[in-house]
Amino acid sequence: MSNFIPGQPLVAVVQRIEIKKLRQGDNLILGFSIGGGIDQDPGQNPFSDDKADKGIYVTRITPGGPAETADLRMGDKIMQVNGYDMTMMTHDQARKRLTKKNEDIVRLLVTRKSLEEAVKNSMGGYQRQ
Amino acid sequence: MPVDKFANMEEKLWILEDLNMMYIRQIALSLQDSDIQKKIDHEIRMRDGACKLLAACSQKDQALEASKSLQTCSTRIMAYMTELQRMKEAQIMQKVTRRSSDAGPMDDRHPCKGKVAISDLRIPLMWKDTEYFKNKGELHRCAVFCLVQLGGEIFDTDMVIVDRTLTDICFDNTIVFSEANPGFEMRVELYSCCSEDDYSAGSTPRKLASKLSSSLGRSAGKKFRSAMEPGPCSPVGNGGATPLLLPVPSVPGPKYHLLAHTTMSLSHIQDSFRTHDLTISGNEECSYWLPLYGSMCCRFAAQPHCMTRQMMSGCLKVKQLGGEPQSWTKVYGVLKGTSLFCYHRQEDVEANVEPAFTIAINKETRIRASEKDPQSKVQNICISNQYGGEEVTHTLTSDSREDTRRWMEAFWQHFYDMSQWKQCCDDLMKIELPSPRKPTPVTPKQGSLYHEMVIESSDDLSTVSDILARRMQELELRSQLGTSPNWMSLFEENNPKSAGRPRPCTSRFSGHSPCTPHRPPRSPASPHRCPQLSLLSSDASLTSDSDSHCSTSPCSHRHAWPEPSSNFPLLSSSPSRLRPRTFSLDAKLSTLRGRGFRGGGTFQCSCQPPTSSLLAPLPVSSRSPRSQRSTQTTLSCSSSTSSNSSSNSEGRHSPESSEGAPFSRPSPARRSLRNLRARLDPRNWLQSQV
Repeated sequence: MSNFIPGQPLVAVVQRIEIKKLRQGDNLILGFSIGGGIDQDPGQNPFSDDKADKGIYVTRITPGGPAETADLRMGDKIMQVNGYDMTMMTHDQARKRLTKKNEDIVRLLVTRKSLEEAVKNSMGGYQRQ
Repeated sequence: MPVDKFANMEEKLWILEDLNMMYIRQIALSLQDSDIQKKIDHEIRMRDGACKLLAACSQKDQALEASKSLQTCSTRIMAYMTELQRMKEAQIMQKVTRRSSDAGPMDDRHPCKGKVAISDLRIPLMWKDTEYFKNKGELHRCAVFCLVQLGGEIFDTDMVIVDRTLTDICFDNTIVFSEANPGFEMRVELYSCCSEDDYSAGSTPRKLASKLSSSLGRSAGKKFRSAMEPGPCSPVGNGGATPLLLPVPSVPGPKYHLLAHTTMSLSHIQDSFRTHDLTISGNEECSYWLPLYGSMCCRFAAQPHCMTRQMMSGCLKVKQLGGEPQSWTKVYGVLKGTSLFCYHRQEDVEANVEPAFTIAINKETRIRASEKDPQSKVQNICISNQYGGEEVTHTLTSDSREDTRRWMEAFWQHFYDMSQWKQCCDDLMKIELPSPRKPTPVTPKQGSLYHEMVIESSDDLSTVSDILARRMQELELRSQLGTSPNWMSLFEENNPKSAGRPRPCTSRFSGHSPCTPHRPPRSPASPHRCPQLSLLSSDASLTSDSDSHCSTSPCSHRHAWPEPSSNFPLLSSSPSRLRPRTFSLDAKLSTLRGRGFRGGGTFQCSCQPPTSSLLAPLPVSSRSPRSQRSTQTTLSCSSSTSSNSSSNSEGRHSPESSEGAPFSRPSPARRSLRNLRARLDPRNWLQSQV
């Protein structure tokens, strides 16, 4: 993940993921778990490179759930949800933003290490030329 | 002589008190309201009991509890008295009006009553950083509790000891008032009492006290001095906010003072958490002062009876929409909440069968009576709703004119109720009934962590950190034992995994700032009951030890066994860490350890029976949170391991596979997976399922 300096614009390579919520009884579920938030301890995050990153990360994917089908992966950092920024949110705010009852689909922008690597590798090849 | 005068004063106060009591009892008798009379008598008895207990008890926390009961009883008595006076007035007024004018049609409607509940009170504190890092002197502690009053009912919350290691005062109680008018006013008061450990302000002789106060730090001494003197902020008796009709008996012991209050009404009700402002009384000089942030966060919900009860029911006939104009369907209608449910038969209501159809009755509905039907001479009732852009009208009628009139009356009453209860009638708000009182868990002495630490052998940094972590864990777990959430069992298997490896967590320890390991971050205002548990140990990794897990938490014990092979190197290194409370668990540990050396078989079944009895006292949490901390009662031992492997959805393989070679290290891939899972322990890092 790119170095995160609070207050400075963030540049990241992101992937768009669209998850259609699944109805289970009274609830609409997405099928993953999140961790992190500006009110949480970033040092506990096993997925972040920068241990000061207080972003929202995907910590678990329910097998066979809507998130898995949409190719969300464990360790992804969620940057945006339906257009709303998630990099500066408390844990509970983030959870609420994902679980809005009137939304059937969430469109996420996520970033992950493998993406960055891929871009770097491809760019690196170009630069060497 | 001053001593005599004081005794005289006291006597006078007692006499006043007795007179008050007699006066109250007289009024109650005259009103012939035995209900209030009984309540008052009960409260007076409780009060006397509390006074006696206060005078007799020696321990600080007993004294605090007794003082709290005393305060509550006094407040309740005052409330009943006010109620009595009001009733007396009303009675007199009624007699007057009856005499003066003939009773005109009392046409004023009364809105239905409802249940009002307040829960999850959280009051944030705002410690100055100087307070926070102060290490001189003792921990300044206050005992706080809340009194919530609505109408004539007063409830108190549990008492919480607050010191500078807490960032919020949290009261877990749910308080439900069953009969509240929509025009209610609920008053929440926060009382606090200084509870310095070594100095009980009443007993220290003056000379010693002044010596101590001059030798203490400036702020500590100031506080102490003000606690000693009955200054303006620590008045004898009530907090000074309420009129002193009932003198509080001057019993030596801790006294609570009003620290903050707020009044809430219908407009504050919402089906979610909200923040309300507090009015703070007292200032920094008072002994009972706490640096409040100035607001209070809580969940305040209401269920008006019109939403939960059947307001009206009876047989109706509904005209078919479309089709023949004169075809009527007989239904049994039930008016409840925001709809009129029409069932085919009356029996369906009890049988919980789905109604034939439902007509919405809400704020946008319009009901009118149409002209009389020429044949039956009964008026029809037309109910119109807007569904999307269209207007849909249902026409109903009943068998007799009387019935129709009653239905119309019910509809008007319902509309009136909805207009009075406003936002509470949009949707049914959930109110959790307070679960039966769990035995209060033993709160660990909230001193510094280091007080309880025993460093045995080496002064290796990792060992020290591990001891720290284990002690913190124990403290937490012990304190949370009564409310241990079920989801903990989901994650217990994480911990033994990491035990087999040389600690990966030491690097994390060194990385953390050296300041107080026991600093909990502010818990989010989430509806989950467990946030405190999961956040308390953010600075120290809890993944260190299976040993500690085995011996402290009963529900983790069960899960510690799936990988016994990895436990052994660790267990053998710390045989001497016996904690008196968990002696039985340690004993089991050693027996099972012995068994393990013999063969590498599946241990899961053998350890189930001993732990099942330990698991029994853990109550199932009544809340069903939305996260993965489900109310899945994995306390059933027999299916525990299978539920473990299935519940942990990170693709963990069955634990048996690794036990083929009891002493070999598990494969690196599984190790890293286990490592990851261990680091995802929700006690370290809050996670939510969406």
